[in-house]
Amino acid sequence: MNKVETILAELEAISKNPKKAMEDHKAKTGKGAVGVLPLYAPEEMIYATGYLPMGIWGATKKQILKAPTYLPAFACSIMQSIMEMEMEGVYDDLAAVVISSPCDTLKAFGQKWKGKSPVIQFVHSQNRDMEASNVFMVEEYKYVRKSLEDILNVTITDEAINEAIEVYNENRAVMRMFCDVAAMYPQVITPVKRHAVIKARQFMDKAENTKMVKELITELLAQPVVPFKGKKVVLTGIQAEPDEVLRIFEEFGIAVVADDLAQESRQFRTDVPSGKDPLYRLARQWQNITACSLAIDRDKPRGKYIVDLVKKYGADAVIICMMKFCDPEEYDYPILLEDFEKSNIRNLKIEIDQQSESFEQIRTRVQSFVEMM
Amino acid sequence: MYVLGLDVGSASSKVVILDEDKNIVSSSVVQVGTGSSGPTRALDEALGKINLTLDDMDKIVATGYGRYAFERADKQISEISCHAKGIFHLIPTARTIIDIGGQDAKAIRLDSRGTVSQFFMNDKCAAGTGRFLEVMARVLEIKLEELADYDSRATEVVNVSSTCTVFAESEVISHLSNNIPKENIIAGIHASVASKACGLAYRTGLEDDIVMGGGVAQNAGVVRAISRELRRPVIVAPNPQITGALGAALFAYDEAKKH
Repeated sequence: MNKVETILAELEAISKNPKKAMEDHKAKTGKGAVGVLPLYAPEEMIYATGYLPMGIWGATKKQILKAPTYLPAFACSIMQSIMEMEMEGVYDDLAAVVISSPCDTLKAFGQKWKGKSPVIQFVHSQNRDMEASNVFMVEEYKYVRKSLEDILNVTITDEAINEAIEVYNENRAVMRMFCDVAAMYPQVITPVKRHAVIKARQFMDKAENTKMVKELITELLAQPVVPFKGKKVVLTGIQAEPDEVLRIFEEFGIAVVADDLAQESRQFRTDVPSGKDPLYRLARQWQNITACSLAIDRDKPRGKYIVDLVKKYGADAVIICMMKFCDPEEYDYPILLEDFEKSNIRNLKIEIDQQSESFEQIRTRVQSFVEMM
Repeated sequence: MYVLGLDVGSASSKVVILDEDKNIVSSSVVQVGTGSSGPTRALDEALGKINLTLDDMDKIVATGYGRYAFERADKQISEISCHAKGIFHLIPTARTIIDIGGQDAKAIRLDSRGTVSQFFMNDKCAAGTGRFLEVMARVLEIKLEELADYDSRATEVVNVSSTCTVFAESEVISHLSNNIPKENIIAGIHASVASKACGLAYRTGLEDDIVMGGGVAQNAGVVRAISRELRRPVIVAPNPQITGALGAALFAYDEAKKH
């Protein structure tokens, strides 16, 4: 096993076993973890406490039995599996759970957490392009900070948050670089591996993650670039799971050269702006977020953003990973479709359901799409 | 030279055999699909009609939901590509294809060379597919092939609004218990199937000619409902249930000619 394979295996193992990542962190630091539900929580504040921020994005192939007690059948599968695991006590080891409210389901979800961990729910501002948004977000983040301090019995200083922001900004830059390098080595960084590397980030101390991913990048760049004969795509959507979906891409010679996935690149697309007041810096990061179905953007730039990604990375097409029952993404789809048609960009929509066990329809769509190209 | 196309769908198995001049020398349809005896029976029937065996086939292409389950195939090609190829061969003016099969519905956009330039499929739900019609026919105690006749006698179209097949079934039972004529209920069922298919078709841009393939195209009531919704004429492909198998056979023909 060469160095690249070793690092990839380590990151893949972390991505598959968040519980172990939490236990390792606890053994090393004496501190536990704080869960972070999608999307755009001020993780830096958690990091500043020494607790490990752990992404909570559901689980694949989880049998949903109890969740319908509290959720309608048309809640997305991420929320269904989180609710199921909440009720099983899976998250009870977390010191707290931070929940934002960017969609209707999350808004309601944060108010009916069934696990034992205390919940810190906050709201993002809607009118993001005015200064009042920053004023509002600072107040929300003051509440998150105070709640974390009370629950974890710690003091979170401005200095600690500013330091955490620097750690996160460096990690974001490294992750962006990884995505660029991964696009150069599609034979090595297959769709499954690319996803695992990005997912592992959710469960790791960002400083350690930065170190590992930097090493991976260095090792990759030492390898020769080999021309890729398959098709290159940009993924968009909330997430591209389970792995079986990505394996179908591999089966038909598809490489992921860029993404606009909420679970992946949207997490590190922009850096937290510089400044002195850490809460104000974090507030301004929310203004930075663009081309996302969960943030109001009057110009609807997401289609153009993806079209630009296609051009920048020389992609052959876009695959829209439509999270089943995700209203914000469904509403964006017709707009994206129009933008892609105008720019003559081939596109395919597949339906993402974390609980899916059957992938034949996706295989048919992907095969047809490749035949079409 | 003979080539064979096998379309193993979810609800039926279809075979088309072509000769050197791309003439259909034999075909078969068996109304059971993947995972059943359907594929073998369809093959036996089509080959038996012309006293040939699989060994006499120069190339075999499989398509449909069960395309990977047939080991003798030289190649597997998706049903989108096969339906497009089959229909364009029969109707070269086709630019939009609406194909409704046993468990999926597709809308396909073709360019002037018959190449697929875009397609849309229903998501995982039986609403708007052949399976939906089968369930409804059973509830109404009539044969599937009688649906179109009943529809032609309808005096009004009853609203069948539920997206879910199970709920729609309850809705139909409720209409029956209110003594609403079966003819009008069936017209409503067909309108419901049409609305799902048209939702996909609108996304293609709807360039003429619009052609329907797949087993459900044999139901004139659904074709009428789709034409009414789209406000355009809809051409039904000849022998629409075998257009996928025909496309597969045409791909097999191309493969055979390559070598």
